[in-house]
Amino acid sequence: MGQTIVYVLVSLVICIAYFTAVNHFLMDSQGLDYWYLFRK
Amino acid sequence: MGRIAGKKLFSIMALCAMVGLLLLPVVVALPSLAIGADAPGDEVKKEGAAKVEKGRDVYYKTEGLVVGAPAPKTVDGPRDYPRYNFESRVLLWFANQQHLYYGSFVLAIPIFCMVIEFMGVVTKDKAMAKRYDQLAYDFIKISLTAYSITAILGGILIFTFLTLYPAFFGYLSGIFRPVMHIYALMFVAESGTLYIYYYGWDKMKEGFLKWIHLSMSVILNVIGTLLMFLANSWIGFMMSPAGVDEQGRYLGNIWHVIHTALWNPLNVHRILGNMAFGGGVVAAYAAYKFLASKTDEDRAHYDWMGYIAMALGVAFLIPLPFAGYWLMREVYAYRQQMGITLMGGLLAWLFIIQATMIGILFLSSNYYLWQALGRMRGAEKYQRYIKYLVFLLVVGFLVFITPHTIVMTPAELKAMGGQQHPVLGNYGVMSAKNGGINVIITTTVLSFVWYMRGNKVSTVSWSKFGNIFMGVFFGCAYVNIIWLAIYGYYIPANVRVGLSVPQVATTLSCLFFMFALNGVMMKGAKQMGAIEWGKISVRSQYALIMLATAFTWMMGLMGYIRSSVRLFWHVNEIMRDNSPWAYTHTVGFAANMISFNVLFFWVSILFVFWLGSLGMKKVPVEAKAGVPGGAAQPAVGH
Repeated sequence: MGQTIVYVLVSLVICIAYFTAVNHFLMDSQGLDYWYLFRK
Repeated sequence: MGRIAGKKLFSIMALCAMVGLLLLPVVVALPSLAIGADAPGDEVKKEGAAKVEKGRDVYYKTEGLVVGAPAPKTVDGPRDYPRYNFESRVLLWFANQQHLYYGSFVLAIPIFCMVIEFMGVVTKDKAMAKRYDQLAYDFIKISLTAYSITAILGGILIFTFLTLYPAFFGYLSGIFRPVMHIYALMFVAESGTLYIYYYGWDKMKEGFLKWIHLSMSVILNVIGTLLMFLANSWIGFMMSPAGVDEQGRYLGNIWHVIHTALWNPLNVHRILGNMAFGGGVVAAYAAYKFLASKTDEDRAHYDWMGYIAMALGVAFLIPLPFAGYWLMREVYAYRQQMGITLMGGLLAWLFIIQATMIGILFLSSNYYLWQALGRMRGAEKYQRYIKYLVFLLVVGFLVFITPHTIVMTPAELKAMGGQQHPVLGNYGVMSAKNGGINVIITTTVLSFVWYMRGNKVSTVSWSKFGNIFMGVFFGCAYVNIIWLAIYGYYIPANVRVGLSVPQVATTLSCLFFMFALNGVMMKGAKQMGAIEWGKISVRSQYALIMLATAFTWMMGLMGYIRSSVRLFWHVNEIMRDNSPWAYTHTVGFAANMISFNVLFFWVSILFVFWLGSLGMKKVPVEAKAGVPGGAAQPAVGH
């Protein structure tokens, strides 16, 4: 059970980091700001 | 020994001849392109330097010598628009659509053959190699009769143009005159290559000769693709003209005429569309044969054939909405008003119908895959989760088809408090729709992953982490897609429009990374049981037929939308359509016309299938090695 939780947490960290990077860089490549709402 | 060497020499010569045929149009075209000859209205140049006039390219904004006549200003009458007692546009619509259906089919099938033949050549399992080879041969045999019909329909289309729209056709063929002969020569090359490829199948079935044969399929497909690109340049020119001045006079640069603003998006969209369509038609053929089969062997063969065709078709269907999105983006970039007419104005309701058809395509594909899980032992473990996929698909589908505004009576409008429904109206915007379609596609990818691991259990040491990672990745992908869809409501339109790119990237990440991860995890996996080909529900075969029919209908619809967006122009903003039919049809009329075209195509293609079946004769099976784990397969003579 403990091992499963560790695997889930590690997977979550990787996936969230990956998708956030995808969102940020692909918006940036279009000259747009992904964090627009949060900067306002 | 001498005979084999002779065969090799002959096959290499045939291959060289094909390459020569491929290059011939280019070689023929070079001198004329180099000197700028062959342009319409060469006589203008010959009349002397005094009459040399410069014009400005309407799209590229470059200056060039006017070497063509202006676009004719047509008037409604027998000179420019001769007619029968029938709407000329409808006749042309029919001829064009049928030619396109068959053209798409015969361009897609050789690509499938190339892929399947290559799989047969590289696979180490000899029985499988033979089976792939047989399948590729079956595919090309179906397309051969269709190829003749395509040529006939092409002839009918040209005659229809010449008879009903001579002024317009004269202008268009004048503009494209520098490449018209290339098109004709490419067609000759395509025919020659196809026949050598087909009839040389048995003669070149092993060793080095097989590689030569495979190379021929590559050349065949290069020629076919170039042919399609050339044909696309005409419709690209009609929608977004370039290489001419504002009067429509050709400025001597044929590359500008071909390489219009919409040419590349059209090329990508059409090639993917053709492949998905071709896959659908072959899958429907296999489904029809499956349903008509009398023996288990036949059922097993056609079940396998249907699966391969469906998988290839869906592989190209998945990126198709993204290519469509790119095309629409380019349309907006070219003329914003054109984009608004398409997606927010006159033709917007047709896009709702299109969304419904896309939803049906994905629902059918998923349904087939879930049914296909039934032919695998060990796949039962996924059955109880299918209801969640159904939920995701249905929610995505409903959001995707929600219209922005609804046609209403004044009383209904008053009762609802405005054009938009207070709740559902929120889903009728692109932000929500992008989320909807990406959820649908991601779910289809997930169904495929489940299917691929249906009867297998991973044996790699890190399988537990792999499975958890895969689950979390899909979960996060869904969350990201939905988050981006919701986020779009809170930011300005110019920022929101960019969110579609990470949304698409999320879906494609699932497709590429999860397929790759699944492939690595399933290498050397333990099989729970064989795939029992032929042991699939009859309903699944109807899903394949549904898939093909929906695709045919959608293709007709999208062709109509693309053509209609020019409104009252033959060539957008250059040559006006002054015929009595320069108006947009009602949605109902267009839908009936599309349905008629679909019905005609399917009736005629059934005739093609029947013709193909006449040439089939069964031969005794030497090695009844089935599809892995499947029932014994029949060999079909060729």
